[in-house]
Amino acid sequence: MVLPNTLVIAWKALRRNRMQTALTMLGMTIGVATVLTMIALGSGAQRAIQDQVKAAGMNMLLVTAGNYQAQRERPPDDAIEMGRLRNPETEHLQLAMFHPEDDPFAVHDHPTSRQRLGDSEAGLGAAATLTLDDAEAVREIKGVQYAVEGVHENVHVASGDTRWFTRVHGDGSALPEIRRSWRFTHGGFFSARQQRNKEQVVVLGSIVAEKLFGDKSPVGETVSLWKQPFKVIGVVTSANWMVTPEAGDDQFDAVYIPVTTMQSLLNLTKLNDITVTTESTGDVTRVAKTITTVLRSRHGIDTNHPDDFTVTSQASKALLKGGLRPDVAQAVTGNVSGLEKITLDQLGKTLDKSSRTMTALLASIATVSLIVGGIGIMNIMMLSVTERTREIGIRRAVGAREKEVLMQFIYESVTLSVVGGLLGILMGVVAAISISHVVQWSTSVSPFSIVLSFGISAAVGVFFGYYPAREASRVAPLTSLRFE
Amino acid sequence: MNPVISVRSLTKTYHVGEHQVHALRSISLDIYPGEFVSVIGPSGSGKSTLMHILGCLDQPTSGQYFLDGRDVSRLSDDEISLVRNKQIGFVFQGFNLLTRTSALENVELPLLYGTGNVSAAERRKRAMAALESVGLESRWDHHTNQLSGGQQQRVAIARALLNNPSILLADEPTGNLDSKTSIEVMEIFQSLQRERGITIVLITHEMDVAAYGSRIMTFKDGNILTDVANDSRRHASGELESLPIAVEEVR
Repeated sequence: MVLPNTLVIAWKALRRNRMQTALTMLGMTIGVATVLTMIALGSGAQRAIQDQVKAAGMNMLLVTAGNYQAQRERPPDDAIEMGRLRNPETEHLQLAMFHPEDDPFAVHDHPTSRQRLGDSEAGLGAAATLTLDDAEAVREIKGVQYAVEGVHENVHVASGDTRWFTRVHGDGSALPEIRRSWRFTHGGFFSARQQRNKEQVVVLGSIVAEKLFGDKSPVGETVSLWKQPFKVIGVVTSANWMVTPEAGDDQFDAVYIPVTTMQSLLNLTKLNDITVTTESTGDVTRVAKTITTVLRSRHGIDTNHPDDFTVTSQASKALLKGGLRPDVAQAVTGNVSGLEKITLDQLGKTLDKSSRTMTALLASIATVSLIVGGIGIMNIMMLSVTERTREIGIRRAVGAREKEVLMQFIYESVTLSVVGGLLGILMGVVAAISISHVVQWSTSVSPFSIVLSFGISAAVGVFFGYYPAREASRVAPLTSLRFE
Repeated sequence: MNPVISVRSLTKTYHVGEHQVHALRSISLDIYPGEFVSVIGPSGSGKSTLMHILGCLDQPTSGQYFLDGRDVSRLSDDEISLVRNKQIGFVFQGFNLLTRTSALENVELPLLYGTGNVSAAERRKRAMAALESVGLESRWDHHTNQLSGGQQQRVAIARALLNNPSILLADEPTGNLDSKTSIEVMEIFQSLQRERGITIVLITHEMDVAAYGSRIMTFKDGNILTDVANDSRRHASGELESLPIAVEEVR
């Protein structure tokens, strides 16, 4: 390829003023290096946060009672009538495990929890297929760290005349171990002993505590759920700056009571879900499979029938958040069923929020640095036009066209910015790597940020070089020759 | 024979503050191919302005200028640039060479512009040939500040001749040179006229320099005072031989 003559001319002109060229390039180099290092640090920090947040949820599995997917499928040919049992061999066991109150169509010959407790809301929506024994069985599986039972209801919490409609979670005492981003502003969580004794103790989410008690500590106070007295033993809030408690959220606009207390009061034997964490993140898929096998066998489901529960992993949630198609994500996470049953969780929302803030911050820093670098180039080019009027005149006298003078100066500024930019990229990469080695900060230099830096340096050269170049091309040949 | 330069009622008026300076007052002249015209006159007589207009470096206020029969006022900037590149060579009093640039690169400058892409090797070859013709081939890699005034002017002449122009315009080419070097430059000019038939317009304010031309035009206050053939023409080649050897320049 033959280089355009003007490019050769520009190159020679730059070489004539080595010092000036080097210093101008240095300005650009430092600008681009700063930008690249900033981006590397920023996206490194962003990734570190992401990793942490993900890690917190990545080893988590949620076993939910019911399988909405199975409902949509055509029932198998040998489907049984309602009330009949799937597996005749375990008929007695199945009968024993099937609680009459769990069947919405059943006519009860004893007072239901609603009637007994005198609260019309009590016991609604509690139908489920998981039991405390299921949770115990899951807990026994190798690789499982915690398995926490969960029964969830809506309830009115009342303190004196103040009432607040919220969620009540009947949970195992190990729940705070799973919810790593929790912080107790007052008191603490209920103990395993309190759970065993079915004590009427409650932990309030910070929103509920604020609604009922305002700023003062509610610990020791008594609130009522289903018209039954509960002693407040703690208030929980978010320890993570990215998760802000909000009215209507499921964690902090909620109250927590022992699952046993809830079951006994509501006369329930079943659970809505079991939250499981694994010892290691990489073990999630295997544990999910084992849980499925164990629960299927415990529920006596043969190969012709779908699961009557759903195992969802946070990993699959994270993958779906990343924009993967569910079938692809399914292939990646293994055959974890119910992958599509994803609700927007706080994790996803806060991640989005934090990355947007980070990106905006970095973009503004980058813009300022590049404008400064660009103005440096423009300044030098403007100076250079004045300084080199005579040179322009000589070139015009020997036949340079306006366009050729224009192009020479644009090529010069682009060469300055691009060569400066390339050196800057090199310096930025080296700086980013040394920072992560020396200070142990995580940095991340993406190919995109390198391409972006290069593109921006070229654009800066053209943008800030154009005006001086146009000035140069408009210098009249005669005046420039007279210029001393 | 048609004139290579033909000027009709050429006027140039400058505005300096509130004053009007009439540099040229309705000049008409014809210059024919192969002529060596010396234009002489005191400072401010308009002779430099004439040269700038003839060299297409400046535009007249009014009047017409035909270069090789073409009306220059109708040419675009690109066409005028091409005229300066191919048809006209300039030699200035202040040499006007690129600083911090070698003699060779200065000489090949015209080849970087204009039509036709000349390869780097070809540029170099032609520039060396031009340097040889002015006797500076051994100094091709010297930067301009390492050359004496006479040498710099010869580099400028080599540059002016590179594209084989038909016209050479020289504005006080000997103004910064000593008498011996001046004679050397004049010898180059005369041989160019003699051997290549180049039309030369030489601007000077010294009568003894003007005497090398074949035709002498005298300017005063923007008018042509006299325009006569030079009967007592000086010949530089003969004068050089008669000069004492002691002042021989180190080449």
